[in-house]
Amino acid sequence: MLDAIMLILIIVCFALAIAYASFCDRLLQLPTGRDLLA
Amino acid sequence: MTTTGWLEILLFVAVVGSLTRPLGGYLQRVYSGERTLLRPLLASIESALYRLAGVKPDVEQDWLQYAISFLIFHALGIVALYGLLRAQSALPLNPLNLPAVAPDLALNTAVSFTTNTSWQSYAGETTLSYFSQMTGITVQSFLSVAAGMAVAVALIRGFARRRSATVGNFWVDLTRGTLYVLLPICIVAALLLIAAGIPQTLSPAAAATTLEGALQMIARGPVASQEAIKLLSGDGGGFFNANSAHPFENPTSLTNLIEVLLIFALGAALTNCFGRMVGSERHGWILLCVMAILFGLGVGGLYAVEAGGNPALAALHPDRPADLRQPAGNMEGKEVRFGIAGSALFAEVSTASSDGAVNSMHDSFLPLSGGILLANMMVDEVIVGAPGSGLYGMLLFCIVAVFIAGLMIGRTPEYVGKKIGSTEIKMTILALICVPAAALGLAAVACILEPGLAGLGNAGPHGFSEVLYAYTSAAATNGSAFAGLNSNSPFYNLTLALAMFVGRFLVIVPVLAVAGSLAAQPITPRSSGTLPTDRALFVFLLVGVIVIVGGLSFLPVLALGPLIEQLQLLSLTLY
Repeated sequence: MLDAIMLILIIVCFALAIAYASFCDRLLQLPTGRDLLA
Repeated sequence: MTTTGWLEILLFVAVVGSLTRPLGGYLQRVYSGERTLLRPLLASIESALYRLAGVKPDVEQDWLQYAISFLIFHALGIVALYGLLRAQSALPLNPLNLPAVAPDLALNTAVSFTTNTSWQSYAGETTLSYFSQMTGITVQSFLSVAAGMAVAVALIRGFARRRSATVGNFWVDLTRGTLYVLLPICIVAALLLIAAGIPQTLSPAAAATTLEGALQMIARGPVASQEAIKLLSGDGGGFFNANSAHPFENPTSLTNLIEVLLIFALGAALTNCFGRMVGSERHGWILLCVMAILFGLGVGGLYAVEAGGNPALAALHPDRPADLRQPAGNMEGKEVRFGIAGSALFAEVSTASSDGAVNSMHDSFLPLSGGILLANMMVDEVIVGAPGSGLYGMLLFCIVAVFIAGLMIGRTPEYVGKKIGSTEIKMTILALICVPAAALGLAAVACILEPGLAGLGNAGPHGFSEVLYAYTSAAATNGSAFAGLNSNSPFYNLTLALAMFVGRFLVIVPVLAVAGSLAAQPITPRSSGTLPTDRALFVFLLVGVIVIVGGLSFLPVLALGPLIEQLQLLSLTLY
């Protein structure tokens, strides 16, 4: 049971890290001076 | 302080300086795919590895592909090491029949070694089998540093390339770093360490009868092979609980010198590799110069404070002349065979470099020295740092420095021909904020929750320093411990794992984004508006930025921990 929880923790953390990388990529694509949330 | 002590430190600096250029040239040739001495010997193995893994070495990746390859590789590494530690009791080479590692400790250890941190909430000789040490810990020590060096090289390519959509191929960089750099050096280093008396055996612990007639088990194992990569990788995870203070990991002053050289060699050489790849070795020397200044301040401070002795002990003999109250200095927690200078040098190298190995107990250093060790980690370990992470950390500070200089004197923010725009600054700040956010945030949580307070070995500011040190060490991927704190609990294992995760992966992603952004730019020719970044002025600017950024983020907690403790020690209040 605990092993499954640890495995899920690892997967969730890396999924978030990949989402974070995509977020950084969006920031890079953004024309200078524009707000990402606008 | 003694002349011999200073000579030992100067000899270390001289040898590191003399190794930097040849090793830097070698690294540049390896990562550029040029011919090296070992290429005829290892090229066929390299090709076979690519074929086996389905990697096309000629196909390069953009920064996002590079980052995702990096993340997937580490996710698999954590799962593999976690599984190995949990299945340890059923695996071979376990002469002491050690049980499986507990789930929270296994997760902490797996994250620790895949992130090149090597925080150890366990004692190696009583927790891990030889199989776990050799195929788990040692393998991850190789891979984590090879991955860190790959990221640094990708960032260098960002600076060096013009109008390029790609920053290299992660799998190729990982393979070349392991095959051509780490393995050959480690084989030679391991043989040297074996010759110097470090054991390398698969025999179980030796049983000895003491003079009192008691049975004593003397732990041993494949130590030398793990020791070599432990030091070279900036990993620092010891085979034994006492790490490099243990006589089987670091038996003599000579091995002590070899060990500190191994820790710094690759990190220093990468500055030269950077200079060569961007077409100006001078830029590499400037970075090394900044590192040397910060290193000198740290090691000088440590040596002076520790050699000065403990005021509380000196006060026990008020009748003696000042120089005879504690003539050997503060030897608590230090090995006599290394003395104050050897211990101060190792502690400075270890915390500056992100290695985290220890040859003395940092908890027993005087509070001010503890503050210096903390400060080394708090500035993102850019003082040489681990191979890879030290260089990309320093390059992030270079970006901040030229940006600040640009704001102050109206110069265009440029570094080695690349314009530093808002995108690069955003990514740089994202990367630089991770370590303070993780270290300070989680330390604050530990200081208010019962499970966090339960691990404390001391009260007052010293106890606070123990907690702060643990999270700073984890977030900065250093891995050294302040001792004192009992961190083998589910609370500490999980929160420290989180700190290591943030400190490694959330830093590297924006670093690679900066690499991608810079690689896409053309090279801007130097003009009258360009701030010279290869002059002495830039050295002082960069030192100032590193100290101020580190100082502003961490000064309040340093005041609450080591600084107030030092002041109270002067009034003979102990914790």
